Amino acid sequence: MLQNFGYLAPKSLAELYAVLKKNSGKAMILAGGTDVLVNLHNGCMAPTTLVDIKKIAELGGIKYDKKNGLSIGAVVTCVEVAENKDVIKHYPLIAKAVGEIGSPQLRNRATIAGNICTGSPCADSSCALIALGASLELSSADGVRTVFLKDFFIGPKRTQIKPEEVLTRILVPADMAGANFGMNKLKRIKGHDIALVSVAVAKTDKVMRVGIGSAAPTPIVTKDLAPNASLKDTLAAVAAVAKPIDDVRASKEYREFMINDYVEQIYSDLFNGKGR
Amino acid sequence: MKIKLTVNGKKYERDASESKNLLHFIREDLGLTGTKEGCGAGECGACTVIMNGKTVNSCLVLAVEADGATIQTVEGEAKNGKLSKLQTAFKANHAVQCGFCTAGMLMSSRALLNKNPKPTVDEIKHAIEGNFCRCTGYTQIIEAVQDASGQLKKKGGLKRA
Repeated sequence: MLQNFGYLAPKSLAELYAVLKKNSGKAMILAGGTDVLVNLHNGCMAPTTLVDIKKIAELGGIKYDKKNGLSIGAVVTCVEVAENKDVIKHYPLIAKAVGEIGSPQLRNRATIAGNICTGSPCADSSCALIALGASLELSSADGVRTVFLKDFFIGPKRTQIKPEEVLTRILVPADMAGANFGMNKLKRIKGHDIALVSVAVAKTDKVMRVGIGSAAPTPIVTKDLAPNASLKDTLAAVAAVAKPIDDVRASKEYREFMINDYVEQIYSDLFNGKGR
Repeated sequence: MKIKLTVNGKKYERDASESKNLLHFIREDLGLTGTKEGCGAGECGACTVIMNGKTVNSCLVLAVEADGATIQTVEGEAKNGKLSKLQTAFKANHAVQCGFCTAGMLMSSRALLNKNPKPTVDEIKHAIEGNFCRCTGYTQIIEAVQDASGQLKKKGGLKRA
């Protein structure tokens, strides 16, 4: 038995906002539950109420159109994203990144929104989404605001989201559709493992960005690089933001070495005309 | 909270505590103890069940979230006291040693075979990547799934990963 908490499952956004307002600071949003239930199991969090948002129809679905780009609802699971035709066709980097998350059992439940809101520096989806210039729609009874994913994280497991807010949709810009890409994730084993470092590159004919995980207190992204930036300039932009530390899983030096190695590998693939 | 769910084809209606996970509900409230608790934190896959056609770690699902769901546990494999083809293949290929991971392994393999009746070795490895076995070294498990799908050419022929 886990610690005691109440369970609510609002059926509309209006109902959800009211619940969050009433239980401000004491409620925890439950989507896939693959992080929340682990934290409850370990006693790392003690919400009085879990608010299950999976019954809210407005939070479902993946939408794509040429003008507005991609929009992923907060309760869409990793598997639904990885198998979505529009994602595979227009944003294959996202499909690749979510396929790296956890195990099949976890991907069947976990949501991308949850992977983001957990705020882990090693979140696999964030590394790709941040390179694609994604932004988040944060909603509450007071209205909707949109923040860039790169500005959303403020520290390890800390984000900009307020207690009364909910991440409603993840937005990926239309001009990044069809971006050439590469992604590498360093793990201790071939199977289900958390990233020692991860590197994702997205490149269109206008811009190139490198997203990096497990290399700073938050997922990070380089400044916008020219699409024909040299490898030297790309590595310099990476070095300007990547500040990995020593921890139980890898040393700072190993991480720096592998980040550079991955950037070089992906760069060489992208500029010889073959993506990964 | 009152919940209704179907487990191995049988309908249940129970009062479930909000703070009970599906794993404990299945074991304690329904008395189906084939599903095991390993880590309790989604790492080991021992508690894997099939929920609405997809494998989940039942330790990471609340019982109340399973309201209205259709669930298959390891008890749904054998019919009338006769092991399923998959179970028989596990037995014949020595895919069971201590047996603690077996219920979860069977559920991940079952979900794979439901979707893909002739999986490749890589597809099998991918499907069971969330299930830890600390005894067999996985080779026998992979061979058992190959055998169950009529693809095992030579026992012990699989190269070690």
